[in-house]
Amino acid sequence: MHRFLPAVAVLAVLLLLPVVVAAQTREDTVVYAIQGDLPNWDPPNSVLRESIILGYHVFDHLASRDLKTGKVSPSLATSWRPLDDTTWEVKLRQGVRFHDGSPFSARDVKATFDRVLDEKNKLTARGNHLKIKSVEVLDDHTVRFKTDGPYPLFVERLTAQVIQSEKVIRDKGHEWMQRNPVGTGPYKLVRWTEKQEHLLVRNDDYWGPKPAFKYARVRIIPETATQIAELISGGVDVIKAVPPDQMDVIDKSGIARTASSPILRTAMLQLDQAARSGPNPFTDRRVRQAANLATDMDAVIKHVLNGLGDRTATTVNPMAFGFDASIKPYKQDIDRAKKLLAEAGYPNGIDVNFLTMPPIVEPGLRQTTEAIVADLAKAGIRTKQRYIGEIGPYVTQVKEGKAGPMFEWSWGYYSVFDADAILYDVMKCNEAYSYYCNKELDDLIQAGRSTLDPKKRTEIYAKAQRLIFDDAAYIYKWGLRGVWGISNRVDYEAPRDEIDRMFVVKPRK
Amino acid sequence: MRRYIFRQLAQLVVVIFGISILAFGILHVIGDPVLLLLPQNAGPEEFERYRRLLGLDQPLWAQYWRFASHAIQGDFGKSWYADVPAFGLVLDRMPPTIYLTLAGLVVALLIALPLGILAALKRHSFMDNVCTMLAVAGQAMPIFWLGIMLIIVFAVRLRLLPASGYGTWQHFLMPAFTLGAFLAPITMRLVRSGVIEVMNMEYIKTARAKGLAEPRVVAKHAFRNACIPVVTVLGLQFGQLLGGAIVTETVFAWPGVATLTVESIRNQDFPVVQCAVVLLALIIVIVNLLVDLVVGFIDPRIRVGA
Repeated sequence: MHRFLPAVAVLAVLLLLPVVVAAQTREDTVVYAIQGDLPNWDPPNSVLRESIILGYHVFDHLASRDLKTGKVSPSLATSWRPLDDTTWEVKLRQGVRFHDGSPFSARDVKATFDRVLDEKNKLTARGNHLKIKSVEVLDDHTVRFKTDGPYPLFVERLTAQVIQSEKVIRDKGHEWMQRNPVGTGPYKLVRWTEKQEHLLVRNDDYWGPKPAFKYARVRIIPETATQIAELISGGVDVIKAVPPDQMDVIDKSGIARTASSPILRTAMLQLDQAARSGPNPFTDRRVRQAANLATDMDAVIKHVLNGLGDRTATTVNPMAFGFDASIKPYKQDIDRAKKLLAEAGYPNGIDVNFLTMPPIVEPGLRQTTEAIVADLAKAGIRTKQRYIGEIGPYVTQVKEGKAGPMFEWSWGYYSVFDADAILYDVMKCNEAYSYYCNKELDDLIQAGRSTLDPKKRTEIYAKAQRLIFDDAAYIYKWGLRGVWGISNRVDYEAPRDEIDRMFVVKPRK
Repeated sequence: MRRYIFRQLAQLVVVIFGISILAFGILHVIGDPVLLLLPQNAGPEEFERYRRLLGLDQPLWAQYWRFASHAIQGDFGKSWYADVPAFGLVLDRMPPTIYLTLAGLVVALLIALPLGILAALKRHSFMDNVCTMLAVAGQAMPIFWLGIMLIIVFAVRLRLLPASGYGTWQHFLMPAFTLGAFLAPITMRLVRSGVIEVMNMEYIKTARAKGLAEPRVVAKHAFRNACIPVVTVLGLQFGQLLGGAIVTETVFAWPGVATLTVESIRNQDFPVVQCAVVLLALIIVIVNLLVDLVVGFIDPRIRVGA
């Protein structure tokens, strides 16, 4: 019998496939477009956002973000609590099954994390979980995580780790898992046609709310203009990252509409306070304050970005844990800016190099930059722009400390909704992407990392924000907004975590 | 003839070697691939570990030697993203690109041959001026723009064709026309000047003197001789055509090797880029070799000369 099994399996698939596909119509299918294909169907083995998004359809996570409240809420885990500073206990959902029919249990959670953390497996997600030392199975539905020191981001990070099956990891192995996802999620993968599309079918045994559309097709369309054409000709239902100047085309089509949502990314102009690329005027706090006072960011958001931005007082995003709304952003005051410059020894203003990049992550970047540069010049901060058109070399320059006294930057928090996720990487001494160094801030960042008490952490981050505001570490801009294009045949809300979920899309009545 | 082919093959080796060094050098100048490969928060040890894993910590010449010595055996290494052999990945994506290029070529010839001949025969007439205008317009139109315009007209407004994708004959029409329109103008101008030149030759007068009907003169005597420069230039243009395919594939979400290459350059997936560049260069060189042979076939003088 064993000899025939592969043949039987192939035959069964061949017989079933046409049936599945033939039954699929436009009416019971929601179509979603992404710009590039996935490298594999093994989300921990990819750093692409698309892998996270599609991962949400076929797999589940221990926790996921409630799009209404913005809080992390239960998914495969039903509850979690810290037992002490370095131990988290997680209770798991019962009665959940993987797509291959095997029941979900604590052993799958352990196997998932063991696999990711094992250096030999070369999984890129390992970097996300280095603080986890071990995972212990207590019973079928309870696990304990041991961490290396207090780890307040533990719960946040659970939202980005798909749970895979122990049986699959053990029996099928790494190679097989690259193309064959076995999850517990709302959709199952039917077929992956590389560089073209993924066809997903509803998991009718799903433990949670079942998707309204029986099929989800994810099409790979690299060019934004083509995505928009597909959207307004009815070929696609949801597209993301619509350029602001194209919103009108969609809204006036009568076929589709746009929706925007704040996203977890803050834009700024970094100033080289730490003098990483040599001596420069911005090592003087008064010059940095002058730069902040020179610019009218509210006007830029309103007139240049058509309101597609949320002003922030510092680098900390309003959606991040620890955000302090009581700090009011700098208001434009050219006279004071000039006075501060004069006090710092520059009565005739300064000339500085300014490194700029293409508008890949920040919509309308060229236009907003021009507006900001004009404001700065009014106060006597004259900039000489140097442009790098590719994001890879740009990041390398920044990382190697060669970005100069002033450069464009934005930070996506690697999707962790916590102040620590920007303060540590972008503002701490000697970090690769940080051109700021302040011992006092470093102590606060460290303090925020060494307690699990949310109240204490809130206070710590409030102090940190006050400090970087008063010290005018960088020129603070705004929190970005994403724009989605949505077909009028469906109901869907733009997700604030930038993880599109086709399983919550509903047909419009 | 054999010596000629042998010389061409020797050149091929030199060209491929040069291209591989160029591709290798440029890739290493763009930046650190590990930066894109790992999450931003991975930490320095993790970055170092990956660099060692991919052999990026070794001196450049050692890295190139390792790449070249394996590549000769058809082993271009594994894609750093997809974790499968780069050679297979590129080969899988080859057919759609070849279909598209051939379809573009056919469209270009369908436009260029009749119009070119017509323009030559009715020189300085109204028809000739129209053809010249079309050629100039075609040459001035960026592929990218034409592709999007076609999508807006035929997919968004008229709803006749799918805006993008791959699979049915309807999917072929717009990309093939876009690519064809890119190649047609230069081909048409060549056909026109080729035919004009040939029509003044003695043997055409002879053919006419023999009492052959004009269509037969054009088809049998003029056209075949006018073909020689056209075929040569088409061969040289083949590289351009592949370049045009990159843009066309991107606009129409065509799952070919060009989109794969662009995506891999973005991701700095060195093995895939190197494999694709070397294979594409190989194709261009081989096509040019074939063109030389075809020209020899059309024009016996070249065969004799060699």
